[in-house]
Amino acid sequence: MRRNQPLFVQGADLHKNTFRMSEVAEQGKDLCIHTGVVLRNANTKEEEVQSLGTLNIVEYSFGKCIEWKPIEDSVVSENPDQDSEWSLVDTHVRRARTSSEGPDSLGRTRTVRISFSDLNSLRINHGGQQLIFMQKDGTTYVAFFQLSNAESFLNSLKGFINFVKSRTNRNTFIVVDEVQSVLSKSFAELDIFQENTSDYVWKFVRNLHNRPYETTLEAFSKLADICLYKDPVKSSEEASEFLTHDVPALPASVSSGDEYEVIGDHEFDVLPPRPHCPRGMPLSQEQWNKFKDSEGRILNSQEVKDIIFHGGITPSLRFEVWKFLLNYYPWNSTHIERLELKKRKTDEYFAMKLQWRSMTLVQENNFSDYRDRKNLIEKDVNRTDRTHPYYSGDNNPHLAQLSDILMTYVMYNFDLGYVQGMSDLLSPILCLMESEVDAFWCFVGFMEKVSPNFEVDQAGMKTQLCQLYTLLSTTDPQLAYYLNNHDSGNMFFCFRWLLVLFKREFSAVDIMKLWEVLWTDLPCKNFHLLICAAILNTERNVLMENHYGLTEILKHINDLSNHIDLSSTLSKAEGIYCQLISAEDQLPDNIRVIIGLEVQNNVLPVIDIENDIEASDHNAEADESDINAEKNSSTESILGFDTVTFDVKRYK
Amino acid sequence: MSNRDPDNLISTNDETFDYLFKIVLIGDCGTGKTCVVQRFRSGTFIERHGNTIGVDFSMKTVLIDDKKVKLQIWDTAGQERFRTITQSYYRSANGVVVVYDITKRSTFLSLQHWVEEVRRYTSSHVLLILVGNKCDLESLREVEKGEAEALCQYLPEVLQVVETSAKENTNIDSVFFYLASELKRRYENRQINANGDEVVTLGASRKLSSCSSCSYKIF
Repeated sequence: MRRNQPLFVQGADLHKNTFRMSEVAEQGKDLCIHTGVVLRNANTKEEEVQSLGTLNIVEYSFGKCIEWKPIEDSVVSENPDQDSEWSLVDTHVRRARTSSEGPDSLGRTRTVRISFSDLNSLRINHGGQQLIFMQKDGTTYVAFFQLSNAESFLNSLKGFINFVKSRTNRNTFIVVDEVQSVLSKSFAELDIFQENTSDYVWKFVRNLHNRPYETTLEAFSKLADICLYKDPVKSSEEASEFLTHDVPALPASVSSGDEYEVIGDHEFDVLPPRPHCPRGMPLSQEQWNKFKDSEGRILNSQEVKDIIFHGGITPSLRFEVWKFLLNYYPWNSTHIERLELKKRKTDEYFAMKLQWRSMTLVQENNFSDYRDRKNLIEKDVNRTDRTHPYYSGDNNPHLAQLSDILMTYVMYNFDLGYVQGMSDLLSPILCLMESEVDAFWCFVGFMEKVSPNFEVDQAGMKTQLCQLYTLLSTTDPQLAYYLNNHDSGNMFFCFRWLLVLFKREFSAVDIMKLWEVLWTDLPCKNFHLLICAAILNTERNVLMENHYGLTEILKHINDLSNHIDLSSTLSKAEGIYCQLISAEDQLPDNIRVIIGLEVQNNVLPVIDIENDIEASDHNAEADESDINAEKNSSTESILGFDTVTFDVKRYK
Repeated sequence: MSNRDPDNLISTNDETFDYLFKIVLIGDCGTGKTCVVQRFRSGTFIERHGNTIGVDFSMKTVLIDDKKVKLQIWDTAGQERFRTITQSYYRSANGVVVVYDITKRSTFLSLQHWVEEVRRYTSSHVLLILVGNKCDLESLREVEKGEAEALCQYLPEVLQVVETSAKENTNIDSVFFYLASELKRRYENRQINANGDEVVTLGASRKLSSCSSCSYKIF
């Protein structure tokens, strides 16, 4: 791969490769369309004009291109502090329609075309939300994915163009053309000794064992087919697909038949087999009593959480233990301290409640933000869990409590206010606590954990959906590949799962068990995403064998509601965690970040556009100078030119 | 899990239909979008249906002129905050039903905004119907039908304004049947145009009589 680079650099200034749509009259054939993408030249400032469009792969007589087309109009980002891709949607929504304004004077909303032959390398940045196109002449474009992620576009691209993962930067992909790719493939196979030891060992294991294993088992399965079913022999694709259940080590590309894809790209889809993780017994009264000292402190909260993670809590104890899990009561507080705390919190609650209770009609009429929140709460309270006995029937007093707590929460956190979904999160808590004050403070604790779900710009949801896809790419690459090829790589069909933490998917009894498991924050960060991965793993065959597309996937997932077995799902999710952990030193950083492991790889993403790499990308607060040294050496040796400074000409 | 409720599973293989159209319901929170869909789909009315999170999805096949027209109905969450998600489902919609609540003026005032959303995120061929739901609550009425009709003068893409009641089953089926038959008719016209002449006349697929919807009453 390395020896290919000089070739690209030589070709750098041969031609300008982006031009206006009008200059090419030919109507290209759209091979692939990704919507909701903002494209901008790399050195455009954040506050300058940006526009939303589609990123397409288009075939022309002169070759294939990546083409970005604006949808209608351009919008000036009004708030540069916000995450750019999300503020943009927001401004779109708020602003009046501006298409009548015509093309903007800066001319940045025109079609941009990047010919495959001019593409040098690609890089995923900003947690998978940005894709950077670096052309041979140094022109660089940055695509922001609003509705999907960079990885999904990259996957689409795989069908048309060959690229290999850079050895020093996992997020960088270097484009190779047909002939060279064959060469580099064989070189890559020969070159394995130059890699670091763990990579080498890993590849060695795969090369030596993987293929023979596959071949042997395939033969077995063919025999089994004949013996058991007397069916026609399955094709090798089917066999290997079948095998992946037992042998997760097989790369997805075996069945996709896409040879070039294999290079470097599936380095980490080789997870060890999933162990069985049986569920434990719920935390019992005796155990709980033993954990308390004479003054009521909980002595070993980690151990308590561990029991809860594996088996939940005995229902009669929930009332007490949830207050600790939701950070209402500190674990090390005494009985007396908790009584005092409760008294203080009760006063505080009623003070806040009085604030909105004492609002006059005139005040309310003059306060539209407040009024909107109040109206929405009223609407939602009347339709929250009304089939549950605790909230059923006309004039049920618990509805008033539900409403009062949510209204008081509006006063407690006016900026967040009330967002649909919150009443779902409160309802089981109130049902259990019965006391309005306790329920409120437990709800506050719960919201602390999930408030990013409800942010105005929905950035928290977007991040989780992207993370879920990333995670799935490692835990079940075949399914991730399938989803992406069926317009579902954005994982929007999991939106409801994440927004209200599976509240709509499980029964009232099960949701309590699930939430208390999640509140332990064990065994790792974002365990709820592993639960998503577990459910999807259970459904993978239904989705794939039926060849479900976007609508069917969404419908199937929505219809799973109340049909998911909690206990086996939790076991499986823990099993997936164990798989990830036993391959820990092989996990790429984007996965490590998701499950809260320290970022291991010192090679940071090379280009730091507007310094907007997510904090999580470099939470290994390494020595500044080391990073720079690393950056420079890696870019120079690999890419052959300096991409760090992004010193590129803007196309005029 | 695979053997649950077999009637409810989609299978493109064993179902035959002549046309398939995608219809999206949008509108402010609590205007009754889910109840409208529920009434049309299963003929029932569930007053205390939970709010919609993200998007719900259902299908119903209707028979129009002996042709099976399958409707994919997408029911979206109303809160502004979730529009970034729901917008992605507008794309490729054939018909859009914008729902407001005749007893809540604010939901009527949002219509302009919703129509702009439709303009922005759907194709130009999309058919749009305004639905004023909860017309059984006459005593609480805050929006007159005439106002909605007047608004349509300024919204050329709106085909029709209909007042409905999901609770009392007023006009619910008509909305969907009308959309389905109109979509089918236009689709057939477009095919005839395409077969007969390579040139498609601008505006040919949109009948003027139904664009200035207010004078054209089918209900």
